[in-house]
Amino acid sequence: MSAAPAALRRGGSLVAAPAVLLALLAACLGWAWPAELGGWRALSIVCAWAGTALLAGSLLLMVRAARLAALFGGLDAQYRWHHRSGTVAYVLLLAHPLTLAADAWAESPVRAWQVLAPWAQHWTVWLGWLALLLLMAGLAATFSLHLPYRRWRALHYLAGAGVVTGLIHVWALLGEAGPLWLLLPLAALALGWRLLGSDLGLAARPYRVRSVVPHAAGLIEAVLEPCGPRMAVTPGQFVFAAFGDGAHFHGCGEFHPFTVSGIGADGALAVGIKALGPCSRHVQALEPGVTVRLEGPFGGFLAERAAGPQLWLAGGVGITPFMAALRAGPLTQPTTLLYFHRSAQDAAYLDELRQLAAADPLLTLVSEAADGPPPMLAARLAEVPGLAGRSAQLCGPAPLIQAARDALLRHGMPAAAIHFELFDFR
Amino acid sequence: MRRLFLSATVLFWLAVSGAWLGARLQPPLAPPAAPAEARYTLDEIARHDRAEDCWMAIDGVVYELTAYLPEHPSSLRVIAEWCGREASEAYHTKTRGRPHSPYADSLLPAWRIGVVS
Repeated sequence: MSAAPAALRRGGSLVAAPAVLLALLAACLGWAWPAELGGWRALSIVCAWAGTALLAGSLLLMVRAARLAALFGGLDAQYRWHHRSGTVAYVLLLAHPLTLAADAWAESPVRAWQVLAPWAQHWTVWLGWLALLLLMAGLAATFSLHLPYRRWRALHYLAGAGVVTGLIHVWALLGEAGPLWLLLPLAALALGWRLLGSDLGLAARPYRVRSVVPHAAGLIEAVLEPCGPRMAVTPGQFVFAAFGDGAHFHGCGEFHPFTVSGIGADGALAVGIKALGPCSRHVQALEPGVTVRLEGPFGGFLAERAAGPQLWLAGGVGITPFMAALRAGPLTQPTTLLYFHRSAQDAAYLDELRQLAAADPLLTLVSEAADGPPPMLAARLAEVPGLAGRSAQLCGPAPLIQAARDALLRHGMPAAAIHFELFDFR
Repeated sequence: MRRLFLSATVLFWLAVSGAWLGARLQPPLAPPAAPAEARYTLDEIARHDRAEDCWMAIDGVVYELTAYLPEHPSSLRVIAEWCGREASEAYHTKTRGRPHSPYADSLLPAWRIGVVS
């Protein structure tokens, strides 16, 4: 996920996601506005419809498709709004039964409890309770980042089931479709695309592994050749890849994001794969001939570089987008690349980087071994000539990015000149 | 967002528990004294056939539901169609073969104004 400076470069599309959410809110509240009611009951109806609208919008923002992500200012910005709208919708929907009960409390506490007790209600209201409990379980899993990815993803689907159950609850209680003519097809399309198009890969493009080269401990680079139409990828972008089967390799079939580290003239893409989880550890045994499904490309890192001198800072596998840019041809701006890695065994691409730096007078390479944010980070940055006047591109682990950003700000670099991208799409 | 989720969830269950406790602690209400029942013919009921003046006959009892209509979960059009009519079948089937809930049954007596003669 990239932070505001990187996202802001993508301009007006950043307002697309909140604009879609506001449009859905306006459509639902315009239809259901409780003009003849007041107090708790009116508030309850407003909470219910605002929550329903935001929940449907949240599903739309979950769809992983390159064009949609570009429209919403990048997959990171899109997912941020998915999280925000889903959580706010959940809070509004929790308030819906509570405000109904508050309305009945004025008559008596017994009446208030009857509003909440499922056994005093019928199945249409049970559906509402089931939807809330599914959302609760799904969101609890969403915020449990320590869960293994596969279990996390399976539990996150509970929230999707909660959305569908909630929409059926609304339809059953309402007695007519109303705004559900808009929300139900939207939810069905979004869930269908995400499940079939993205997670099962029906919308993915077929590629095949041409070669596999180990570059460091727990880091391989795979070159993937298109088996059909090729993707138009620029340096700094990433793809979602699901590796299939080969002669001796059986892929885990899950889509994971990988940054492109090289773009061939024939449409072949190189991706750097670091062993970070069960699937990417398994992929370290990848072999040529394995089929791959690719989705993307996503991201706008390195897309809009200022004309002046550059500072590139990479940590570990964060070197991959810079490799794609350097392999694409000689630099046009003076560029200092600070490359931090844990040890010599972890220094992927270092020999190739030294050759590139020797051949390109505009590239200055500084590499250093450090576990975690390097203690000499501030000193290394201070050695970069004309630092405050440069444009910075940062890629690496979150603690390194944070430490580098803070140090650059202290050195007088404007926040708008600092661009970074992290990969955390949970 | 994580903090918002956690605090909202905890507050929600505290409020639900509070409603349960409030109902448990409330002394049982004495049943209201039965008023003298007015009697209305179906013709009289039929004169109150608008959302602004809505009576219905359900199982031989006449209800004055004008003030309740905006609170009904369905849209006004669905329920207002039954104003001024004998609506027992609609009440017991919701026109889709589904009866109203026990909670809905418990709401009706508050709107009772008489019986069908």
